[in-house]
Amino acid sequence: MIVAGRSDGEGVRLVLETEEAMLLSELADQVDSVLLLGEVDDPALGRLLPNAYPEDHAASQEFERYTRDSLVDGKRQAAQRVRDATASHEGEGVVQIELDESEAWGWLTFLTDLRLILAERVGVIEEGDTESDETRDDYLRAAYEWAGFVQGSMLEVLDPISS
Amino acid sequence: MTSTLEELDLDTTTRVAAEVPWQTVVWDDPVNLMTYVSYVFRSYFGFARDEAERLMLCVHTEGRAIVATGNREAMERHVQAMHGYGLQATVSRAEP
Repeated sequence: MIVAGRSDGEGVRLVLETEEAMLLSELADQVDSVLLLGEVDDPALGRLLPNAYPEDHAASQEFERYTRDSLVDGKRQAAQRVRDATASHEGEGVVQIELDESEAWGWLTFLTDLRLILAERVGVIEEGDTESDETRDDYLRAAYEWAGFVQGSMLEVLDPISS
Repeated sequence: MTSTLEELDLDTTTRVAAEVPWQTVVWDDPVNLMTYVSYVFRSYFGFARDEAERLMLCVHTEGRAIVATGNREAMERHVQAMHGYGLQATVSRAEP
């Protein structure tokens, strides 16, 4: 994974190994599925769509009614764009992706949503039967760290001084 | 154009407290990178770098920060935007 500036100065350029692109595509598809299936008792969904009024049930429901569809649509679109940009590059060696600032925002928000879901999933696994899920837990942790690395690297390019 | 300007005026934080009793609160979340939170504050609210960093550190160290004050509709728009960015945000009444 290489994250660099673009020659015209705006946005960011990503160079991914084929395996990294495949992994990202798969993770993006999973984020899209979590949002699509939207099971009410899924705690990960609660991280993506937080309660705006924790102390006012009626206001909370009202807010959810007016905002949920548009938030879900925006997050699904971001995930789908990442999935499509990283899909089907088999046998090409590396995958090069150029993003302008607006497209880069889609990636940044997707990576945030992905990390929120992974953090929730690892937490859930820790409470349960850890023995049988160790491999999956390691995989989720690695994906979580890697997504953070990608996001951090993108921010270093997009917002150089604060990094 | 006129209606947009009027709407912006309602969003300003300079009005007296009695008229702007609502707040947008952003809560700490160990998942989000500090650089990301700061970048969101600057990009969305248009804060200067110093102000965005101060609010981001306030979230990080105090557990929460009030990032906007104004009428309820405006605060709900901000909270919806924060949720879009993946930040944990709530609407609350300003303390008297």
